[in-house]
Amino acid sequence: MGQRKRARLKGTLASGTSDGAAAGLHGSVKHNVCMVSDFFYPNMGGVESHIYQLSQCLIKKGHKVVIVTHAYGNRKGIRYLTNGLKVYYLPLQVMYNQSTATTCFHSLPLLRCVFVRERITVVHAHSSFSAMAHDSLFHAKTMGLTTVFTDHSLFGFADVSSVLTNKLLTVSLCDTNHIICVSFTSKENTVLRAALDPMIVSVIPNAVDPSDFTPDPSRRDDTKITVVVVSRLVYRKGIDLLGGIIPNLCLKYPDLHFLIGGEGPKRLVLEEVREKYQLHDRVRLLGALEHKDVRNVLVQGHIFLNTSLTEAFCMAIVEGASCGLQVVSTRVGGIPEVLPDDLITLCDPTVSSLCEGLEMVIARQRAGTAPHPAAVHAHVRTLYTWMNVAERTEKVYDRIATERVLPLDQRLRRLRARCGPVAGSIFAFVAVLDFLFLLLLQWLVPDSLVDVAMDASGPKGLWAQNSSRDKNIRPKYQKSVGSS
Amino acid sequence: MADDEFTDIHGKPLSLEYRFHSSFCREFIVSAPKVSLLKVMVYTCTVWLFAYAVFFVTENTAVLSAAILVTLVGMMLHIHFIKIDHETLLIIGSLGIQVSASYASGRESTTFIEMSRIKDIVINEAIYMQRVIYYLCILVKEPANPDSVSNVVPLFQSSKPRLNCLIKVYRSCQEILGQS
Repeated sequence: MGQRKRARLKGTLASGTSDGAAAGLHGSVKHNVCMVSDFFYPNMGGVESHIYQLSQCLIKKGHKVVIVTHAYGNRKGIRYLTNGLKVYYLPLQVMYNQSTATTCFHSLPLLRCVFVRERITVVHAHSSFSAMAHDSLFHAKTMGLTTVFTDHSLFGFADVSSVLTNKLLTVSLCDTNHIICVSFTSKENTVLRAALDPMIVSVIPNAVDPSDFTPDPSRRDDTKITVVVVSRLVYRKGIDLLGGIIPNLCLKYPDLHFLIGGEGPKRLVLEEVREKYQLHDRVRLLGALEHKDVRNVLVQGHIFLNTSLTEAFCMAIVEGASCGLQVVSTRVGGIPEVLPDDLITLCDPTVSSLCEGLEMVIARQRAGTAPHPAAVHAHVRTLYTWMNVAERTEKVYDRIATERVLPLDQRLRRLRARCGPVAGSIFAFVAVLDFLFLLLLQWLVPDSLVDVAMDASGPKGLWAQNSSRDKNIRPKYQKSVGSS
Repeated sequence: MADDEFTDIHGKPLSLEYRFHSSFCREFIVSAPKVSLLKVMVYTCTVWLFAYAVFFVTENTAVLSAAILVTLVGMMLHIHFIKIDHETLLIIGSLGIQVSASYASGRESTTFIEMSRIKDIVINEAIYMQRVIYYLCILVKEPANPDSVSNVVPLFQSSKPRLNCLIKVYRSCQEILGQS
């Protein structure tokens, strides 16, 4: 069954490539991509917006994209977002931190159904914290689909939880076709953690939507200097450092104000500092911010401060710079790669070094030698665009489309060779069970009994055709199911 | 007017029959195959063999009579409450939609929705028993606010036809909804 499936897939791929070659000017093959992650809206964060923006750009480039995530409370079933982006909220049990439980098997029936009915060719999983992403990679390989994985975070090597996650990552990635990291530091980290061949790891940075983050110098008060911090208030983001910087600098500069957006367990630290030094009028804590409000906070400041202790790729500093702020940040993880030197001041992750850096920038601001916000924005807007990310991701898809998915015997051999005798054997056994389970499912519900889904996006997308005729897409689609 | 072959989502054959009473009145009947004798035999035999095994050990004749009762009552309940022979959708433009299901015993349950309360008929997707399936449903307007949907009435719930069948019914219904 699996063999036949692979043969069929290869057939479609081969015909696809020849079509693409014949089409020539129309660009390359169009892929049916399935993005899988535990993290998606209504949950908020960097991974979520990355998946959404990347999907939107891929749809614009003519690919078909569906997103698979787990159900969030009452939000379950199938939904459509802008431009026919289809989202499956599958009812899988959430274990911890919005991540589903990994049993390696229970998600197979639903995921298989989605992959088959949407005629998926590429499975793209996101975030190493997401159990669902690992599950889907595992199942996709069993089903003979090509796989891509994007890693969004850096990890340590020392503590127990990292050791376990790294082992899981090794198993999960050893037969994945391609891996994408968001910065070179992250690539190095992932290659070491998962013992990978660096050749199959690409670096594609994140992007920001520059039109969302435009500078507005009229909104800021030039009689004082405002430092903006927007981050979750957690240990990883270096909030303890911030608690050390605030009293130091506030004593030195009477016109210095802090504006802090975000929520988290470390809010206590900041409140203590504010209480102790009587800085209520100068340190404002805004609490949790919605994504659309971030820009309104950013434009009120002159300097953007980031105190992260670890970071694969810092979106916040790009957003800050895009709003025309001067950026001061710690020199950790992938941050030095993110912005050119004239837009950022890098410091060591210590209170004294960060104070020095801030003082230098404050002096520049006072002297009026700081670059104009509009100039900074114009520079940043060319650096990171989602279209660029989508183009580079497309190249990865094109490349793996010609690659071969490992058949089961080679996959087992590779698992045992790469992942150590014990874990390798265990997971090879699990892979065999997964394959048998797939055979059982294919016997219970043959592929021919699964209705092919109507495409909302992609080459035969119904929304794309409708949107030219009618702007009111949502009710139109439901009708177009019948009229196609 | 029955036509080409349709199956339900499990691959069992279904027949779709549609009658055009007039230009604004159409009736669709989806029928599932009758209760098969073989299936009844198998279930009855299983229960009776099991009962006989228990009787062999306990030597209590009440077990046998209980088994007979269980099969009889079970069969009655099954044809009266579970097994639906055909589901009918009668759509009359400007008047409304009548949905009825007739059980194997002959019992019928019917609901009627006025046209003024119907917003639209659509094909939707749902997650059902570890699968993702298409189904046809009626969107019912909220009386206070005509733009929002207060209720969704799924059609052909027990027969669960596949997409090709749904599309046929859907198109026909839209023709009538479009007239009014």
